[in-house]
Amino acid sequence: MGSTGFHKVVFIIGICFLVHAAVSAAQRKLTEQEFTSLSLDIVVQGILSLIACMYAIIYMAGDLKEIRATEELENKSWETLRNIPSYYIFSHRGRTLSPAYDPTSVGKSLIDE
Amino acid sequence: MAELLLDANIRGWVFLPIVVITFLVGVLRHYVSLLIGGSQKKANIEQVQDSQALLRARLLRENGKYLTRSAFQMRRYYFNDEEVGYFLTQKRTAPASNPMTDPSMMMDMLKGNLTNVLPMIVIGGWINWMFSGFVTTKVPFPLTLRFKPMLQRGIELVSLDPAWVSSASWYFLNVFGLRSIYALVLGENNAADQSRQFQDQMSGAAVQMSVDPKAAFKAEWEALELYQHQSVLSNIESEMDVLEG
Amino acid sequence: MTKVANKSGKSGDMTAYSEVALRNNAAIVEYCRTAMAALSGCTAGVLGLSGLYGFGFYVLAVIGLWILLLMRAGSKWNRYFLNRKSLLTNNFIGGLCTYVLFWTFFYTMVHVY
Repeated sequence: MGSTGFHKVVFIIGICFLVHAAVSAAQRKLTEQEFTSLSLDIVVQGILSLIACMYAIIYMAGDLKEIRATEELENKSWETLRNIPSYYIFSHRGRTLSPAYDPTSVGKSLIDE
Repeated sequence: MAELLLDANIRGWVFLPIVVITFLVGVLRHYVSLLIGGSQKKANIEQVQDSQALLRARLLRENGKYLTRSAFQMRRYYFNDEEVGYFLTQKRTAPASNPMTDPSMMMDMLKGNLTNVLPMIVIGGWINWMFSGFVTTKVPFPLTLRFKPMLQRGIELVSLDPAWVSSASWYFLNVFGLRSIYALVLGENNAADQSRQFQDQMSGAAVQMSVDPKAAFKAEWEALELYQHQSVLSNIESEMDVLEG
Repeated sequence: MTKVANKSGKSGDMTAYSEVALRNNAAIVEYCRTAMAALSGCTAGVLGLSGLYGFGFYVLAVIGLWILLLMRAGSKWNRYFLNRKSLLTNNFIGGLCTYVLFWTFFYTMVHVY
């Protein structure tokens, strides 16, 4: 159920038909002296193109996602389980091994190393 | 209902331009606010450090019972020692609580005004001046007289049906009606931004500290001082022996 | 990345929902709704509906969108949405605002001048 080229085509055709209905309605309004109501073909064309557009929009908007959390967990690998934010270390002692390490810039505030 | 016949030139030179101008100004405003605002608020490194330290201290209090006594003392020493303890040596200044004294906050407010209020006034005034006094359109549903001042700004005609809309009011109708269209056209950016912030929060990278870090440190220091370490695993060997049978 | 919102299920048992997926779905529905309001406003204006017929048309369009959304979700709609009724009634007024603007615009373009 992804958005496909088919739906885009349907959407564009629907918009074109809607515009065409609008133009023909406007012209009819201009040319006919005794204007009472729109002819049936324009009404049908307008409504059909609206339905086509709405149908296409719903598929173009994007994929719906499964809202149950367990569904999401099923696709996870074991590696993601080990991603525990509380165990992130932002001042690892290994940084002193880096050639770019400048002992004066950081660590003043920390306890003596 | 008395039918008015409007000149088609009004459509071409007043009605459509107002729609186009309103829409394009909205788009422009969006991009200008992106340009000025740049990236959204970033947590500066000190704030992240502080919040992580507080988080660690809290975890130590909650889970310290699983540590041996010496291990716990070591961790507490790191935070609370009178000479080198983290909470005592860190000198944090209290954040300016008053937005007027904080220049960055002030700047943000200014930017918000600049991108939201100013164009509204300027463009609205300009449209009022440029396109004033036209009857532009008619809403396709009957309205009561109450709506006359709302829909017919700039036209003082007592006998005009309230369904007719003046140019100034057409502009305001556009401003309010087009809001959701911006979301559709410019679209995913706001939704995407929100979810990205959301993910940042979850990974703990941007735990914002709105409170005064000094006070938070003090409170956490106190709590740690008061904590009575009682290891729950002290007799674990003998208990395991019992389990083994 | 699974922030979980707990909501009690039917018989006291807890079901976990993924908040990210919920947000994603709500955004998609919102997108569809705005597009639907604009498109149906265009159609109503072209057809020259006025007065109560126009508002009736909006109600019809909302119901049509609801049916289309449920059709897309299929029989397993509760895998994607929390409940069906809020899908129908959410943001009814906000959509109406957009609808009236487009309705007026096309009505003017086609029928007033």
